[in-house]
Amino acid sequence: MLTFISFWHAGAIVLCDLASTAWYIGGIVETAIGPAAPWFIAAVMIFAAPVLGLYVEGSSMFVRGGVYKVVREAMGSRLAKVSVSALMFDYVLTGAISSVSAGQYLAGLLNSALPRLHIHWSVDPKLFSVVFALAVVAYFWRQNIRGIEESSDKAVKIMSLVGVMAAVIFAWGAYTISVRGFHWPSFETRFTPESLGWLASGQWHKRIGVLGLVIAYGHAFLGMSGLETLAQVYREMEAPKLVNLKRAALLIFFAALLLTGSVCFLAEGLIPAAVRGQYTDNLLSGLAMSMAGPHWALLCLQAFVVLVGVLILSGAVNTSIMGSNGVLNRLAEDGIMPEALRHLHPRFGTTHRMIDLVVILQALTILLCRGDIYLLGEAYAFGLIWSFVFNAAAVLVLRFKDRSPRLWRFPLNLRAGGFDWPIGLGLLFLVLLSVGLVNFATKKVATVAGLAFTAFFFVLFTISERINRRAAARAGEAHQDKFNLRQADDLKILREEIDKPNRVLVAVRDPNNLYHLNKILETLDSETTDLVVFTSRIRTGLGLVDETVEMDHEETNLFTKVLAAAEKHGKTITPMLVVSNEPFYAITQAAQAVGASEVAFGVSAKLSTDAQLERLAMTWGSLQQDKKPVRFRIIGPHVEHAVDL
Amino acid sequence: MGRDSNMAWFQKKSEAVPTPDASKPASTRAPNAMKVSALLGEETVLFPAEGQDKAAVLEALVSAVCRRAHISDFSPFLAKVLEREQGISTTLDTGLSLPHARMDSIDGILAGMAVLKKPLPDPKQRDLSIRVVFLFFSPNKKDAFGLHLQLLRGVSSLFQPALIDQLTAASGPAAALELVGKLEA
Repeated sequence: MLTFISFWHAGAIVLCDLASTAWYIGGIVETAIGPAAPWFIAAVMIFAAPVLGLYVEGSSMFVRGGVYKVVREAMGSRLAKVSVSALMFDYVLTGAISSVSAGQYLAGLLNSALPRLHIHWSVDPKLFSVVFALAVVAYFWRQNIRGIEESSDKAVKIMSLVGVMAAVIFAWGAYTISVRGFHWPSFETRFTPESLGWLASGQWHKRIGVLGLVIAYGHAFLGMSGLETLAQVYREMEAPKLVNLKRAALLIFFAALLLTGSVCFLAEGLIPAAVRGQYTDNLLSGLAMSMAGPHWALLCLQAFVVLVGVLILSGAVNTSIMGSNGVLNRLAEDGIMPEALRHLHPRFGTTHRMIDLVVILQALTILLCRGDIYLLGEAYAFGLIWSFVFNAAAVLVLRFKDRSPRLWRFPLNLRAGGFDWPIGLGLLFLVLLSVGLVNFATKKVATVAGLAFTAFFFVLFTISERINRRAAARAGEAHQDKFNLRQADDLKILREEIDKPNRVLVAVRDPNNLYHLNKILETLDSETTDLVVFTSRIRTGLGLVDETVEMDHEETNLFTKVLAAAEKHGKTITPMLVVSNEPFYAITQAAQAVGASEVAFGVSAKLSTDAQLERLAMTWGSLQQDKKPVRFRIIGPHVEHAVDL
Repeated sequence: MGRDSNMAWFQKKSEAVPTPDASKPASTRAPNAMKVSALLGEETVLFPAEGQDKAAVLEALVSAVCRRAHISDFSPFLAKVLEREQGISTTLDTGLSLPHARMDSIDGILAGMAVLKKPLPDPKQRDLSIRVVFLFFSPNKKDAFGLHLQLLRGVSSLFQPALIDQLTAASGPAAALELVGKLEA
């Protein structure tokens, strides 16, 4: 069955990454730019709004979207491969930094709590965080192998807990402020030679003031990590897709702004300067321990913050695996991934080898960084900012290349000379490009590691593409999805999966004649109606007996288009292939087995509408066990017949 | 063309079959109860001699059906049903063959049945054997097509292998009609 997720689930998946940065961004950015860090982090979180808008426009153009698809449409395959290679770097580092940070928090809690329990034993935060990070990555590797539905449920639960924690922190923080007062963080930036990178020698930030602002802003940019996943989960989002995409974007924006933006201010304002250094890698633990109240209560709060932190940071690992799997799938659809990596898990139907690849790279990164959060933070954001830059450039270029109406447009469009000039998009692109270029010069580790990683993936993608293109040219094939087939001798097995009050069966045969399926999908209510999309393989004699559970080329092509239609509408379907010696018997048996109250067909090129209905009425009566009424519909362009029997 | 009790039945039924309301699911509408036995008379139930092919059986049936409806020239009816037989098969796995056609010149349903003591191979699907032929004509009118389909469904639902076994063992038209009527009662 092909299922879709709500905007809550989609928002929770993205937020698990985006909001999880609250646990480590404060410490990293403060180390890089000094006490003004919360101001720049807040500015970045506000800037997430237009970036989300960029992704809403880009995603609404392509259901199977994301940076690769958008950039390829606008600027060609080569730049698309560069952009997506950079993004892969971001995803790999997201998994590493999130899981290591979770380990740091847990180590910090153990080291605080154990002496109170008279256990004179401490853990090495770095070693502990590496071991813990590997365990988290392994856990979510297993979850993703099992599929998105399960992992998105967990994301919602985690985000619910984050909401509770945020409420507690804000309420306790307000009480603490009322008791002790609050000092807003200063606007002073204090760069280190490390944070200035190649610009340190020329002291350029002192000569050009605005450059200092952009450098600081660039260091805070990792606050937006995870946002690109919105484009990857759009494919999985249920109908109405665009409405849910916008709802998810709003949810993500406000939740991330409130959490990441606010806790950084609270941490800066409430953690005493004398102890701030010991909480660089676990800033929210420092915030918990700096609240007003008895020590045992603060320890409990710290434990709660750590528990939620471990969960959300682990959730970010999940998001990074899910997002990178989505990106690699887009590449695979374009014939860029090696064919072997597209293999489906025999039980869960997931692209398990792609997930394996991402998880291996994340595990390697965790081992190489040896638990150093600042090092990971320095390397981070390279892929993020450049995937944003490419995406903004691509959506901007597409405004000129493809002037067809958009479902939604990024605002600030100036009408002149019969064309809507995309001023808003242009400004957004310039800001992103500026940050990208400045980060290029200041974040040495990110630039070197990011370029090396990007080059590695770019070469891998280019070689794979050439091999696949040659193979496809030999076979004369276009893109096809991969399917797992479950074999059953009795069609009644479907009843186990189909439990909604209404059931509709749509018969399909010709991949170029899915008009009727699209019409049904347009009005289908997935909450109350199960939709079975059916095709039959007609065989006679021994061919009927010796069938194997493999789809042939035509069936795969057909169901590839069926899935694309379902994804476009965001409606749940159950695809079904029946081997039979007579198509009308096959349809009738399938429809009666699932208890369909409606059976829909397209207009046949070979048979008249009347002949189709007549044959179906005969087979229906011949096989019917009960007197349940049924509606037959034949739908085509300018044709619609409905008959109740 | 004359009218008999079957015609009245048809007109009454046709009034009860409005165009489906697309806003309502099929499950909220009750199907029409259909009395197949009421469409037949003893003179339109045949027990053809062995050795005839399907075309010969159809010709005899069309002739009998038209004679009952006081239609002197049955050739357009035969031509139409044979033309339909060239299209998608009208024979089912149960051994029932359901030749049918829609005619401009009639206002109600005309039907007949042939019971074959020895099964006849279907000319289009040689692996299927015909044991009972139920032939009918329905009016070629837009609002009658729903009824045409309901009759196809109703007849194919009624003539299951158990009834077909009993029919092929029946002594003659009256006994065959009684069997059909009893099952429908």
